[in-house]
Amino acid sequence: MKILNRKYLLTVGLLGFSIMVLGLGSSVSLASDFPEAGDFVRGSKAWSENCMRCHSMRSPSDLRDDQWVTTVFHMRVRAGLTGQETRDILTFLQASNAPIDNSAGDVEPVSKEKIAQLSGGKIYQRNCMACHGANGKGVLPGMRDFTDKTGRLTKTDAQLLNNIINGFQSPGSSMPMPPRGGNAQLSNDELAAILSYIRQEFSK
Amino acid sequence: MLNNIAIAAPSVEELAQRLEKMQIDMDNLKKQLANRATKQDIQLVEKKVQKANEWRDSDTLVHMAGYADVGYTDAQSEDGSFNSANFSPIFHFQYRDLVMLEAELEFSTADSGETNVDLEYLTIDWFVNDYMTLVGGKFLSPVGQFRQNLHPSWINKLPSAPPGFGHDGAAPVSETGLQLRGGFPFAGIRTNYAVYVGNGPELVAEFEDGEYELEGIEAEGFGSDRDGEKVYGGRFGILPFAGLEVGFSASTGKATVTSVEDGDDGLLSNEGARDYDVKGADFNWLLGSFNLRGEYVETKVGSSNAGTAASPGAVWETWYTQGSYRFVGSKWEAVARYTDFDSPHLSQDQTQWALGTNYLFTNNFIGKFSYEFNDGLSGNASDDDRFLFQMAYGF
Repeated sequence: MKILNRKYLLTVGLLGFSIMVLGLGSSVSLASDFPEAGDFVRGSKAWSENCMRCHSMRSPSDLRDDQWVTTVFHMRVRAGLTGQETRDILTFLQASNAPIDNSAGDVEPVSKEKIAQLSGGKIYQRNCMACHGANGKGVLPGMRDFTDKTGRLTKTDAQLLNNIINGFQSPGSSMPMPPRGGNAQLSNDELAAILSYIRQEFSK
Repeated sequence: MLNNIAIAAPSVEELAQRLEKMQIDMDNLKKQLANRATKQDIQLVEKKVQKANEWRDSDTLVHMAGYADVGYTDAQSEDGSFNSANFSPIFHFQYRDLVMLEAELEFSTADSGETNVDLEYLTIDWFVNDYMTLVGGKFLSPVGQFRQNLHPSWINKLPSAPPGFGHDGAAPVSETGLQLRGGFPFAGIRTNYAVYVGNGPELVAEFEDGEYELEGIEAEGFGSDRDGEKVYGGRFGILPFAGLEVGFSASTGKATVTSVEDGDDGLLSNEGARDYDVKGADFNWLLGSFNLRGEYVETKVGSSNAGTAASPGAVWETWYTQGSYRFVGSKWEAVARYTDFDSPHLSQDQTQWALGTNYLFTNNFIGKFSYEFNDGLSGNASDDDRFLFQMAYGF
């Protein structure tokens, strides 16, 4: 008799109708090119703004590409991320999880002429600002402050460029700087331009 | 001069030896070249390696995450003991970007030495579109933030849950039903939401001084709806700018007494469905290495004139505020939390100051030391100050 209860029928009917509507509206949900590529720059920003809402930041190098897929989709449900944010963060993490390469030799110096041709500020904003902040003081906990007179920028250009290109683990920090800041597309010249910008802006 | 050159010129024999040596060197070189891979060979190998990467190319991904913790507690009225060996594996089975099965088990060691196993949650998540995920099964309650996002030991910055946010507290723990959740941008700001319908909680009565009264609420995702009354609820979160989130939660429905604390459940009959209403608010603010968060939950259960356990209604209420700071350039973190939990029973009421120091070996492996200043009913466990140590690992 209970199944004929009006309230029960209303609840079940409402749920069934909702699921049907959702199903009809989701014909494009199964992407043919899974895992669908997102945007690296948006992903680094979304990563730095979302993960720390609840927990300490996990380093991109903690997990393999496939492990990040399930982890980020789990976080999509848990943190209320949109599908686009999920794809962007996944793209950033998969591009940034290369381990630090200590075996790589010293980096060839880049000429001042080449650096002058590139806009280090723009490249910094797109690739570095999500973690290091617009003011260079660091956005994530444990991040070094570029404006500290006795801090990171007391190192030579060669040392810093080497760390940027090959990745670096600061003593006392729980998260390493990924090789090339996580963006393998950046050339040595562009990274040198970023370093030049960091010196100009933050070591005044 | 000419004679000297003639004298220094090699003999035919020497030239023949040199020629033979050159021939051997050339043969060795040919062998080396034959064994060397060409650019095309490398490209072919790269392609094969890419195809052989079963994880990346597979439509179905299988992954295990989770967390575990061990600890030590020393309370005022009890001897110190090692405790809380918890292991909570989370299994993920994902088919492309369409569906994911998530299940968290909880293995823990009881005081008696037995191993307890619980299903913390088990859901099938259907990624309907970019803004909606339909979650079915047993899920963590979306009311507030602590239960659904902060309770894992590698995330919680203190070894204990705030009073009222654990089992049998003011905040619901889990629910069995259907939930729709996701996020969307609105007028330039980010939002997230969760709405659900579920079996709802069950109530526990207590027989004292010749009459029944409400003892507690069990809101732990029951697998059946014994009173046939569903509960509806959800949470809406707003992120006006990066670093700040404000959330509002509510749920409503009916709940019925189904058991008697330390009594005979068989005595219960014709229990009336009572009003069940929860409201809550939470916030989370991040500024560099500083984090401030807080949460408020009130659960109100109505009265009932029907059944054996007919009794007046009751209210459970709790709130906490927690501040933490990670020292720049170090692995040390300081935490302070204040909680005020009010219930219909003096023995459950508690106010607590919890002060803690954490050492982050890595961001997912944490050592926590804390001291709790507890104020409850004198002579009761809720009044005992405690020292707690915990090692937590999220994987």
